Amino acid sequence: MSLTFKTLTGFAVAGAISLTAAAAFADIKVGFIGSTSSDTGLSTLRGAEIAIKELNAGGGVLGGQQITLVTADTSEDVTEGIKAYEYLAETEEVDFIISGSIDDVSLGWLPRMVEYQIPTLDTWTSYIGIIDNLVNDYENYKPYFMNIASDEALATLYIDFGKDVLADKMGWSSVVILQEDTAFGGAINGLVSEALAPNAGIEVVDTIVYDVTTVDFAPLFSRAQDSGADFIYLISSVNSQVVSSQYVKLQVPMGMTGVNVAALGQEFWEDTGGAAGGISTLSPVPSVGFTLDPISQAFVKTYQETYDTRPKFPHFNGFNAYHGLKQAFAAAAVAGEFNNTTWVDAMLEQDLKLDLEGQPWLRYAFWKPGEVEERTGRTYPHNARFDITAPYDEGSPSMVVIQWYEDGTNAVVYPEKYATGEFKVPSWVK
Amino acid sequence: MLQILIQGFLLSGLYALIAVGFTLIFSVGRVLNLAYGAYLMLGGYAFFYVSQTLGAPKLIGVLAAVALGALAGLLKHRLIVKPLKGEMVPVEIATLILAVVLQSGVILLFGDSTKILHSIIPGVWRVGSASVTFNILFATVVSWIVLIGLYLFIRRSHLGRAMQAVSMDQKGAAISGINPDRVNMITWAISGGLGALAGVFFASYTQLSPSMWVAPLIIAVAVVIVGGIGSIIGTLVVAHIIGFMEIISTTLIAAELRGVFTMLLIIIVLVVSPKGLFGREEIH
Amino acid sequence: MTGLMTWRHAVLWVLLAAGLLALPELVSKGTLRTAIFACYVGIFAMSWDFLSGRTGYISFGHPFLIGIGAYASAILSYRFGVPVAVSIPAAVVITIIGSTLFILPALRIRGSYFALVTLAFMELMYQLVQVIRPDLTGGTRGISGIETLTRGAVNGFYLAAALTFVIALVLWLLTRTRLGAAQSAIGMDEDAVTGSGLNTTKLKLATFMISAAVAGLGGAFYVHYLGSIAPRALFDINFVFTIIVAALIGGAGTIVGPLFGAFFLTFLLEYLRPWLPGAERYFVYGLVALLIYMYQPKGLFEIAAKLRAGLPGGGGLR
Repeated sequence: MSLTFKTLTGFAVAGAISLTAAAAFADIKVGFIGSTSSDTGLSTLRGAEIAIKELNAGGGVLGGQQITLVTADTSEDVTEGIKAYEYLAETEEVDFIISGSIDDVSLGWLPRMVEYQIPTLDTWTSYIGIIDNLVNDYENYKPYFMNIASDEALATLYIDFGKDVLADKMGWSSVVILQEDTAFGGAINGLVSEALAPNAGIEVVDTIVYDVTTVDFAPLFSRAQDSGADFIYLISSVNSQVVSSQYVKLQVPMGMTGVNVAALGQEFWEDTGGAAGGISTLSPVPSVGFTLDPISQAFVKTYQETYDTRPKFPHFNGFNAYHGLKQAFAAAAVAGEFNNTTWVDAMLEQDLKLDLEGQPWLRYAFWKPGEVEERTGRTYPHNARFDITAPYDEGSPSMVVIQWYEDGTNAVVYPEKYATGEFKVPSWVK
Repeated sequence: MLQILIQGFLLSGLYALIAVGFTLIFSVGRVLNLAYGAYLMLGGYAFFYVSQTLGAPKLIGVLAAVALGALAGLLKHRLIVKPLKGEMVPVEIATLILAVVLQSGVILLFGDSTKILHSIIPGVWRVGSASVTFNILFATVVSWIVLIGLYLFIRRSHLGRAMQAVSMDQKGAAISGINPDRVNMITWAISGGLGALAGVFFASYTQLSPSMWVAPLIIAVAVVIVGGIGSIIGTLVVAHIIGFMEIISTTLIAAELRGVFTMLLIIIVLVVSPKGLFGREEIH
Repeated sequence: MTGLMTWRHAVLWVLLAAGLLALPELVSKGTLRTAIFACYVGIFAMSWDFLSGRTGYISFGHPFLIGIGAYASAILSYRFGVPVAVSIPAAVVITIIGSTLFILPALRIRGSYFALVTLAFMELMYQLVQVIRPDLTGGTRGISGIETLTRGAVNGFYLAAALTFVIALVLWLLTRTRLGAAQSAIGMDEDAVTGSGLNTTKLKLATFMISAAVAGLGGAFYVHYLGSIAPRALFDINFVFTIIVAALIGGAGTIVGPLFGAFFLTFLLEYLRPWLPGAERYFVYGLVALLIYMYQPKGLFEIAAKLRAGLPGGGGLR
């Protein structure tokens, strides 16, 4: 074995040395971490690209420096996510990281963020557990910001929808919960099933938890029908297409609403081959069917002029990336640089109020440490500043409910202020 | 009860179709084709592209899928199995690598977002609280026809008997004038075509995604382990055991433990009777 | 020197150690980070090789073993505040006991069936971790914020490299004992070994337990390097792929080969990043692995040996 051994050692060392030559030095580097082949990841990436193009065109940042964007693909794989974060931090030495990662990928690289202390903005994951990290260990986690309302806030506003629409308007009084077996599903299920009955008067008659890889929903829908409930509350964040398309293909004779992550993008109709009519879901803002303010509208226009591959319309996290990246640089202008002290303070002061026809419409700001949200009675440090109480003037609503109709159109159906259409059950439901 | 029976038969029929191509190769070629799930993926995506993107008639889509699957089987035999001399371990490893390569290939071509196929035959039939789509009913009927046809083909036709002979004893078959290489090649093609056909039905029932090759592979593995290799009847019976177990556990026990029961069954059967419940090595 | 190791081997091992020791002086921190991952993949590949590469019992479920070790140490330290110095050894013991209980019945199964049952074990583990006691395992999202042993690329590298070196040396020495000879014999013709009066079950069990111990040890250190754990990162067919392909590309049955296979593949994947930032990377990576494997199923080790044999004055292998 002797010589091979030596040859290989030499080969490895020589290879390693030749590749140490550092990349060309750039003025300011922004790193993107996320999947470059998913609609989710691409939305964040493109939102960041447009914001950077605009900032560079406007004379650069921090004294006229140009921004370069470095992409680190995760393929939505947890380990690749960790490697990607390390690559951005140590090989590329970026100043700021924008993330379009899904839950477990973000949780995977989070210890690296704690280690490197690089200012990082998450635009897709809404996991309250990450915000809890900031609550419990602020000093270590404070470079982290999440500019989407956390899942707990989503669920809280959803309860209002249950009361205002499902109970009062539709006259429904019982529900069967159909929950995908994920941590997200468990958390939402807990919140919804505890709060629906006391607040909206809707009784949970059965809860069906199913395995993520379930391929056959026929027995589950049968069980849901046998429960005698008025409607199904679906909680699905991973494999939503299968359950929604089978709901339509099987023409399950009861209404179904809830959380259906697949239905969040404009491509949902195309992806399901039109088998999507009647599906409704809560969505972070700005969702599909959402009336946009002029600034966000202008962003969409640029987006559609720049990219002609999918997603043809940015998902909510594309908006978060676009506005959030600009805010991060505005904060850097105040602090003079990106760091884990003054930049964090400046970022917390960022407040972008977007009005539509004279009334508050969307807001990009963050909860400060110690600031208590009145309705839930807890703090949300560095989470997007959401508002879960009508008329939603203090922040963006944490969610809206969107509806896909059987003709392929979609609309926001709740809250009233943002509604562009009506909540409807599919035509086959009597 | 009726609902469990109906749904059990429908799902099991589909599972049998998924598993049969896998067991065929295991029996005749004596290798585990870990890229078997990729046939289903290729078939599903081919059908999606031809019928849904290009808008060709569905039958053309199905034919295109089967042709692509058969071609993939041929190529796999020519480029991987033959150069590796059909040795068990290298072929298993090479097919595993191939499956991962194909997965990234699909991501490159179609992106990694999930896609849903139109029903091949739209419509629903209601029996009690069970809804039966014409789509799955059609899939099950086709699956039975294919399985019976395959059974007769292997029993009655000249080529089928040659396959039987090769699966029993490669050298013996060669002595009696059969070209085992040719029989192997044809078996790979048939297996690929069957896999792709199963893929069209599986995908029209569930979804298209670049990682969709894993689930059917596990189903095929489970059926083959529990049934023992080589037995078409065994495949059919065990597909029903697994299908019914899934339906019963999701309906009556706990839906989140669906996969756990299948894995436990595999492990118990392997430990108690390593050759499976119907195990012989040759196809029969 | 004893019969276990010749002077020539000793010199080579010292050279390897010196090379690893010097690496942080020679390369950038980013490269070191990649080297750390390569070390861990190397440990897993060596563990796999010790069992599968030598005896021919192909394990498709190695993440099952690694996962037990990783989860055991993560849960002990994160949920129960057990110090890492205790939780890692405990995790190794748990891996050995737990996996032996599981695998014991499977050891009488041969060939493809053994591969399938190990694959089934991995799938079972993937399902169970999410369903059973998610309050401990963290369910689908896993656990984040687990205590890390080191900070910084250099320290992380020294730890990973030291661990890798020791494991490689110990496993390599073991293959040069009678156990190693018996392993190879099982790999070639198990019936003949049984016929010669040796107890193959005992041999297989010993081999399996050593392999499991290494996997558990590697898994435990790995999780305390990552600082997070998630079922999708571990019990995944892509992880199986990484481990097995590293071992085979390197050269199965040689212990050191898999280590180099791991370095080769990890660096290949990482160095493709600047040129192919998207999904193309995995396609090229897989294709390279497939081509090398098809060209020479015995791996880089054999390719290098052949090159050496082709040179004037070249000696044979071993």
